[in-house]
Amino acid sequence: MKRIGLLLGLLLALQMPAAAQDWDPGGTLKKLAAKASKTVDVTLDQSMLQFAGAFLDPKDPDQAQAKKIIAGMKGIYVHSFEFDKDGAYSDEDLAQLRAPLKEPEWSRIVNVRSKSDNQNVEVYFRKDGEKFKGLVVIATEPDELTFVDIEGPIKPEDIMRLGGHFGIPNVEVGQDSSAKKGESK
Amino acid sequence: MNPFDEELKRALQRVDPPAGFADRVLARTARAERKNHASASKWTWFFGMGGLRWAAACALCVLLAASGAIYEHDLQQRRRGEAAKEQLMLALRITGSKLQIAEQSLQELDSAGQPRR
Amino acid sequence: MVFSIAYHFLHNAAGAEEVAQDVFLELFKRLGTLESREHVTFWLRRVACHRSIDHARRNKIAAAEVSWDQLPEPSGPASENDPMRTRRLQQMIARLPEKMRMVVILRYQEDAGLEEIADMMKIPLNTVKSTLHRAHAMLRAKAEQAMGVKA
Repeated sequence: MKRIGLLLGLLLALQMPAAAQDWDPGGTLKKLAAKASKTVDVTLDQSMLQFAGAFLDPKDPDQAQAKKIIAGMKGIYVHSFEFDKDGAYSDEDLAQLRAPLKEPEWSRIVNVRSKSDNQNVEVYFRKDGEKFKGLVVIATEPDELTFVDIEGPIKPEDIMRLGGHFGIPNVEVGQDSSAKKGESK
Repeated sequence: MNPFDEELKRALQRVDPPAGFADRVLARTARAERKNHASASKWTWFFGMGGLRWAAACALCVLLAASGAIYEHDLQQRRRGEAAKEQLMLALRITGSKLQIAEQSLQELDSAGQPRR
Repeated sequence: MVFSIAYHFLHNAAGAEEVAQDVFLELFKRLGTLESREHVTFWLRRVACHRSIDHARRNKIAAAEVSWDQLPEPSGPASENDPMRTRRLQQMIARLPEKMRMVVILRYQEDAGLEEIADMMKIPLNTVKSTLHRAHAMLRAKAEQAMGVKA
């Protein structure tokens, strides 16, 4: 009995991401929400995505694109926190968020810092063989943290298509390097 | 239909409720909702419009019921669907903007001839 | 619709309003379980029907407080569109036995089909048919007798 309890405890501690569920590694997102002055939380599992998809207007280019992107998607979970001051989240918080992404199925494909914005963006993909099964984006600024978890057979090129839609300009090399903040709060 | 059937239909034509009926139904519904809320745990009502939503739903339902057509359920479904759609677009906007920053930074590195991390 | 079913059944506006309010209060509790416009309409009719009957029984509203024979005689033959004739018919309907009264209301006010009436009132289809047939014959005979014009 004790062994089973230990095993269960270990599994919980590892915070194995369940398939297509809102994910909170180490309970970090809940902690950050408690400290944030502004929070954006979007939780759409597969059924909600299908429901929302039914209301997308195919005549609207953005919504038509959205419909293509979410086809086959199992969930999209976005948590964005704005804090009153810098340093509201710690390196430990970030380590907790990154911990499950050290599993072999995950690959970090991008880790860049934008000097102009002082933003750091990490992009992770989860693969099963050659198939993409999920995407995580962790974007940080001194007073802001965004955690995006997309579950399902998402393709990198599909996500990159998001640029140029939804009010986000496609950025070409040679333009002003201070990237425009396109997110809504 | 024979003439007597027509007479019966005339005799049983729908009668509208008296003036103020909708208000009295609203008041009674609101009282019932207040009673439910006092004893229930804190619920986050859909987009925080709980009481207003119920009052609006009630008024619409009464009016439409009087005319024999009920659309409230369809309207509620549409409202939920539009809200879910807005949430989806917001999620995609946020994701796209962060990826855009990543792509821009990579392009900056490439154009500067610097190796990517 | 709801108020009207209750009103024609109870022949009383205050009672009809009480029933109608109860029905709408119940509706809002159950909106999430109702699947379509048709479902809501059916549900409203069914609940209005049962609540009206319950209300009449609770308040011991007798169907025949005044017998048909005691209804005042018209001074002359009534035409089909005579509002007095309509009013007398309404009084006659209000004096029908409960189940018969409700079958007539659902049929002639709501244009409900016989199977639908059977579903709503939870009585066999054949009972609906025979009840309607008897009610029709009864009302027709009484209308001819009371109002002096062949209906």
